[in-house]
Amino acid sequence: MSLLEIKNVSINYHTNDKTVYAVQDVSLTVEEEDSVGIVGESGSGKSTLAMGILRLLPENIIETSGEALLNGEDIFTMSTEELQKVRWTQMSVVFQKAMNALSPVHRIGKQMEDIYRVHYPDEPKENITKRIYDLLKLVNLSDRVYMSYPHELSGGMMQRVAIALALIFEPKLLIMDEATTALDVVTQTQILNEIMQLEKNMKIARIMITHDMSVVASTCKKVVVMYAGRVMEEGKVENVLVTPQHPYTKGLLNSFPSFTGEKTNLKGIEGNLPDMSIYPTGCVFADRCPFAKERCHKEIPQLKDYGDNWKVACFLKEEGGNINE
Amino acid sequence: MAKNKKNTFTKILKTINGNIQLKLGLIFLAILLFIAFFGPVFAPYNPYRLNDDLLMAPCAKYPLGTDNLGHDILSQILYGASTSLKIGFIAAMISAIIGVTLGGIAGFYGGWIDQLLNEVMNIFLMLPDFFLILMIIATFGSSMMNVMIVIGMTSWVGNARLMRAQAKAIKERTFIQSSFSMGESKASILVHHVLPNGIFPIIANTTMNISGAILTEAGLSFLGLGDPNVISWGQIITAGKAYLPKCWWICTFPGLMTIFTVLTFFLLGEGINRVLSPKMDANK
Amino acid sequence: MFISKAEEKLVKRFILKRLFSGTIVVLFSVLFNFVIIRMAPGDPTRLLAGKDNPSPEMIAALREKYGLNKPVLEQFWIYLKQLAHGDFGYSYVSTAKVWDLIETRLGPTFLIALTGAVIALVLGTLLGVFAARKKGSKFDIFLCGISYFFDSTPSFWLGLMMILLFASILKWFPTYGMYSLRGNYTGIAKVLDLLRHMFLPVTTLVLIDIPYFFRIARSSVLQTMSEDFIMTLRATGMPEKKIFNKYVMRNAIIPTVTVFGITLAYMITGVSMIEIVFAWPGMGRLMLDSITRRDYPTLSAIYLMLSISVAVMTVVVDIVYAWIDPRIRIE
Repeated sequence: MSLLEIKNVSINYHTNDKTVYAVQDVSLTVEEEDSVGIVGESGSGKSTLAMGILRLLPENIIETSGEALLNGEDIFTMSTEELQKVRWTQMSVVFQKAMNALSPVHRIGKQMEDIYRVHYPDEPKENITKRIYDLLKLVNLSDRVYMSYPHELSGGMMQRVAIALALIFEPKLLIMDEATTALDVVTQTQILNEIMQLEKNMKIARIMITHDMSVVASTCKKVVVMYAGRVMEEGKVENVLVTPQHPYTKGLLNSFPSFTGEKTNLKGIEGNLPDMSIYPTGCVFADRCPFAKERCHKEIPQLKDYGDNWKVACFLKEEGGNINE
Repeated sequence: MAKNKKNTFTKILKTINGNIQLKLGLIFLAILLFIAFFGPVFAPYNPYRLNDDLLMAPCAKYPLGTDNLGHDILSQILYGASTSLKIGFIAAMISAIIGVTLGGIAGFYGGWIDQLLNEVMNIFLMLPDFFLILMIIATFGSSMMNVMIVIGMTSWVGNARLMRAQAKAIKERTFIQSSFSMGESKASILVHHVLPNGIFPIIANTTMNISGAILTEAGLSFLGLGDPNVISWGQIITAGKAYLPKCWWICTFPGLMTIFTVLTFFLLGEGINRVLSPKMDANK
Repeated sequence: MFISKAEEKLVKRFILKRLFSGTIVVLFSVLFNFVIIRMAPGDPTRLLAGKDNPSPEMIAALREKYGLNKPVLEQFWIYLKQLAHGDFGYSYVSTAKVWDLIETRLGPTFLIALTGAVIALVLGTLLGVFAARKKGSKFDIFLCGISYFFDSTPSFWLGLMMILLFASILKWFPTYGMYSLRGNYTGIAKVLDLLRHMFLPVTTLVLIDIPYFFRIARSSVLQTMSEDFIMTLRATGMPEKKIFNKYVMRNAIIPTVTVFGITLAYMITGVSMIEIVFAWPGMGRLMLDSITRRDYPTLSAIYLMLSISVAVMTVVVDIVYAWIDPRIRIE
């Protein structure tokens, strides 16, 4: 059994007069100790997907379909009590804005203590305090952070606090939603290296949501490329990011400096995201795709496995073409 | 081109329709302006005319009754509308001009000018403004002009703070930076770029200030500090106070009109604020 | 509450800065008072004497006392010294010392002002929090509408309407004064009589003040609920009730405290109009009398007292603010 199995998940937002199809028919598997990067531009639905799995979206305006099996149990159909039980003990999350990750008017240590007591209300105080000090040490923070307020720390330090907090119960799954995007490159690299070390020690699987290809390349085993709410391509990092098979992946890779240091290929992808409130009739990328043909506008391409778990949703590939030629 | 214009128009209509405060505010404003401009035409009597019927209850002859001197209340209310609006608009404009100028200068120039002006704003914020206004009016006389100027001069801090923040933020934006490097003078940048870009929150705040000014004027009138040469709702209420509870109509109707007017500008201000900050909109 | 050495230093500096601002405000008000009496149309001696035809001896004495023949700066110094001794001059109306006049009025004013402010704080905040939790419900929309209405209502008019309603139709409560003139009650009966007289002015004040507290509570709860850290707490599985009671409330209470402080600071002006309507023997009555008789020494003393109390309250609010919101200590 996989740790997390997402099956045909779609998430729609209902606003006053329209429906936004934020995530469409996404499937994805995360094994134990796996590391999966989900990449895409802002608006690609990657964050919505993560928040959906965590059931943190405002339930009165969204509509979710499909299944998200955590250890075989569907998160979407869990009762509130069941959900509260698995939250943080089995899956935790680190958000982008670490500066705002904790209440600004409570001391950091006290908040971590409160969170600890959510799942172990009867634990003696000294055990909890010890656990928190250990965690702070684990992420290379000094003891004084316990008594600090969030605004007294730098962005990098707060990010470490958020990571320490996420690891408090040693969950099986850690979701990082653009968690290092706001940091400078040096701090980002440091923190990413620490994370990888920690998850190896604690046997944690990680989903990394980012728009930064280089972060995925250096920290993940698998990658999922999303565009306009749909998966375009997925597979092992060494396959997908080296010889991308989907025109969008290729475009995305070209818009970032290459990992080897060459900075010549900074080509953006022309055009904008399609209107997500109109249900697509063809491939969502067709309007911006340099290879688009008539069929691409009329039919929705399905993800097809081309071996080694390398899946691509593209008619060009399906018909035997290759964008890298 | 024509299609584009139509699009903008439908967009504006859609914005107004989705924003109940703005919608109601605009409808009320139209009614108010109509009363202020055409009220005198519809007024059944000259508001200064001393009719023979004193303290008459509302009847067919005097739809809203008469006061102790025989003034027709309806006519007085209709004429009073322009007084309230005039005081509200002009006082709010004065406060907008002072606020925008001082706030713009403080935020844009920064440094010691900013510190100085900021301290001045802090002081003005801590002054008991209603009593300050009252003192000045009691000393220098209660002409409408004095009332408007004093209200304007004591209510500008909100505008100044908004403008200061806006100026600071806009100054950092690239297009201003590029104007700098192209050799445009600070004053010219302030007038041509910073002011037009930062003006929208000021408009919302100024709309609210109109409400505040109208309420202040009503309060002054109640204390006997209204301009004796104009008809104002506050003064009608004050005059009717002595005849309560028997002659309820003298106080009641001008009060309702005051509420209606103040409410109109509150709603407009809130509505504009909602358009400006869609985040709060999501909260609604 | 635990405060580290470094934080203590910051708090101290913050408080000193606020005290400095407060002092400047008071000085400014003193200067304003000094200037306005000298700028007012007519002879300042007449204004200071509080009489239309002061005797030549009195004029001479006043000129001597206020140093009106001396340079302006020296006059200002003399004025400051008199204020420091609590000498506000003599009232026009009663030739009594101004301070004595004010002193007897403060009690009744504070009585209804404080009662009203506290009731409005409690009710307004409760309704605001409730409305925020039921955001978008009929109840919420109704309360928002009502709050707009009372916000737009002149306090004195609302008072008059109360009189209309209760004097002519319901006849439940007395509509003027503080005690029944012919009652001569003692003990509990006296307190009850007072409470009955307080009811209408306090209710009016509460209705006028509630919208502030309602709106501030509602919007700060909504604001806090949309903060990112609430998402974190939800993700940890913390029950909504605990998130709300401990984290949302603690963050949302900060603006409420500020508004309450400011309301207290301005309560004398706010309550004055209502006092006048209900003939309550407080500062409002004194203010109205001083205005109609152009009693400058009294007006000026009330104004000074008001500015000092506003300045003091603002500083107090800031200090309380620094205590409950750790972020402010950084500035």
